[in-house]
Amino acid sequence: MSSRSTFIGAVEIGTSKITVLIGEYTGRELAIIGHGECSSRGMIKGAVVDYKAASECTHSALEQAERDAGERIELVFLAQTGGHLEGFYNETAVNVKAADNMIEAADIRTVSDLAKSKELPAGRMVVHNIRRPFRVDGRLIPGSPEHLVGQRLEVGYWTVHGQEQRLADNIHVIRGFNLEVRELVLASLASGHMVTTPEERQHGVLAIDVGAGTTDFVLYRDGGAHTTGVVPVGGSHLTNDLSIGLRLTEGQAEKLKLRFGRATVQARDKAEKVWLDGNFAIGDRQFPRQAIEQIVSARTWELLEVVKKKLGGSFSPETCAAGVVLTGGTAKLPGIAEAAAKVFGVPAHLGETPSWVADNLRDPGNHTALGLLYYGVNAQNERAVSEKRRGGLLTNFKKLFASA
Amino acid sequence: MNPRDTPTPARNWRDIPQQMSPRTMSSEGRKRVIYRVLKMVAVVGAVGALGWGGLEIASTFKENPRKAPDTALQSAPVKDLLLVTDGVLDQTWMNRTLALPKKTSLMELDLFQLRTRVLASGQVRAATITRNFPSTLAVSLSERMPVARLSAQNKDDAPRTLLVARDGVVYEGVGYDAAMIETLPWLGGVKLTRAGGTFQPIAGMESVAELLAKAKMEAEHLYNTWKVVSLAKLNSDDELEVTTKDATKITFSITEDFFRQLANLDAILDAAAAHPEKSLREINLAVGSQVPVSFHDAAPAITAAPVSRSAPPAAVKSLVLPSFSTH
Repeated sequence: MSSRSTFIGAVEIGTSKITVLIGEYTGRELAIIGHGECSSRGMIKGAVVDYKAASECTHSALEQAERDAGERIELVFLAQTGGHLEGFYNETAVNVKAADNMIEAADIRTVSDLAKSKELPAGRMVVHNIRRPFRVDGRLIPGSPEHLVGQRLEVGYWTVHGQEQRLADNIHVIRGFNLEVRELVLASLASGHMVTTPEERQHGVLAIDVGAGTTDFVLYRDGGAHTTGVVPVGGSHLTNDLSIGLRLTEGQAEKLKLRFGRATVQARDKAEKVWLDGNFAIGDRQFPRQAIEQIVSARTWELLEVVKKKLGGSFSPETCAAGVVLTGGTAKLPGIAEAAAKVFGVPAHLGETPSWVADNLRDPGNHTALGLLYYGVNAQNERAVSEKRRGGLLTNFKKLFASA
Repeated sequence: MNPRDTPTPARNWRDIPQQMSPRTMSSEGRKRVIYRVLKMVAVVGAVGALGWGGLEIASTFKENPRKAPDTALQSAPVKDLLLVTDGVLDQTWMNRTLALPKKTSLMELDLFQLRTRVLASGQVRAATITRNFPSTLAVSLSERMPVARLSAQNKDDAPRTLLVARDGVVYEGVGYDAAMIETLPWLGGVKLTRAGGTFQPIAGMESVAELLAKAKMEAEHLYNTWKVVSLAKLNSDDELEVTTKDATKITFSITEDFFRQLANLDAILDAAAAHPEKSLREINLAVGSQVPVSFHDAAPAITAAPVSRSAPPAAVKSLVLPSFSTH
């Protein structure tokens, strides 16, 4: 094993399961060397409600992944979701200072700081500041505007913020294992990056990650994330509806959902019935198939409608030419892409796992953790570049003496 | 807007403190803390030990610069001298050359100096000297092999025989079988130049060595008749001149294939053997396909008899041998 390898840990503490992946990054390629998974406990809608239970299963998944990898990790990238996460857009403009109207780094820094400086309500903390493209005199600039000539420089940030206690709870679960949380990453950004291509993001695409407790979404435009959001509704709500509607236990309802649930109603015959267990056991019951499909589809459509409503004016079929991409564990529900296409009025399809991912990790439920690893690799590269720019020990010493 | 007017950014998740007391960690987390602490202690301990050791050594040197080495030196006296060589030098030579003082400890020896002493003999091409603890000094030698000999004489001294290796190094051979030395041809046409206690290597010895090696391997009966190899014309004409025991001069070109020239020579000598009344004076193999051969007396010219008819040796059967004429 190369001594220059970096081990990156990715942790997703979901409502139904906790996934841990360990990647070995050699500077050129990433190999997934460890995988740990554990059913979630102490979590509701992406938030920790029982610290001890959540810690136990998270630590169990971490141990499993480290054992699988044969390596000890020191830091992790942690996915963040939950209904407490909210976002807003803030835009600022400054006049270019230089006499020749050439934009300098200081102008960019000032306008960026201003756009990010909006005050948050008490108890809220920034999770992400997602920059939208700069504008120079109203002209869209995809990259950096430095050294361009113009009078007015504008930039906007989509700021995602969350409740301090909820964020701290997640971090403390990881710290309880004596690991550093290097970065909190929005679950929607992680999974969205995995299932969309740069071309799709350029043309506009909506990635929806339907999990068990929450549905995370991210709308990409002009190559970058434009709007993100979380709806605290997921696959477990479909199970809950079935359980209430058909008077079943959660376990039985989950079984029925997995076997007969659909996001669109297909059964035409009201009399068609399906067995709960289908094993001829005493107590096995029959249920109308159409009723199951109707319950599941109604809640799925409602969920997608809520996502559309939350996106508001940001989403329009014209600015989302690449359509909708669905991922997450609940995206395996048959007909969900069809439902999404009808709700959003654009083509929809299920997100595909990249070909380099091993077969045992190709489940849509792992897209967030895979995206975290991808995010970790990028962060590692950026860190290496910035360290290189800053210079080595000798350069720092020189600077020290120069300033003395 | 002045950058100083920029409002402070909102609180970030990074403001959440990540420090956590081990009490609130899980058992595995606590284990990891202990492991990390132990690791840190081990690293600090190792660094501390190294530093302390360094300081101790430094202070010992400072007090008495000879103290530290002396302590080590007295610990292991040399008991055995082990010689490994690919040549003829023996233990006696090594004992004489190294001249180690009695009861010298292994650590006291200056290996670099000993190696220089061993390499002072031109017979040794490479030497490795190692300490094999606790008490053995191992000497591994790679020796030169002589390809020719020469006689040198200082003003008042008696002449002495020196040996010349393939790389031109001139040395006094030690331990060689006298019969083997007798088979070596003498070297002529060279001027020895002193460089310190030795002689400067003779230039052009590669060609001589190649000729002699080829002759010894392919035509030993010819080689055995060679007495002197002269390098006098080497630089000017690219020629080597061999004088045989019966005073025949044979000139070889170093730009031509020695094997071909030897085959020619063998054929010519066979042809000449058919005329025992003639005594060969000179054979010049360096002028190309026509080989001038001269005899001691002014005999009538031997007509160009095809040499191939005079039963050439098996090794040169395929060669088209030249005709020759007398001068």
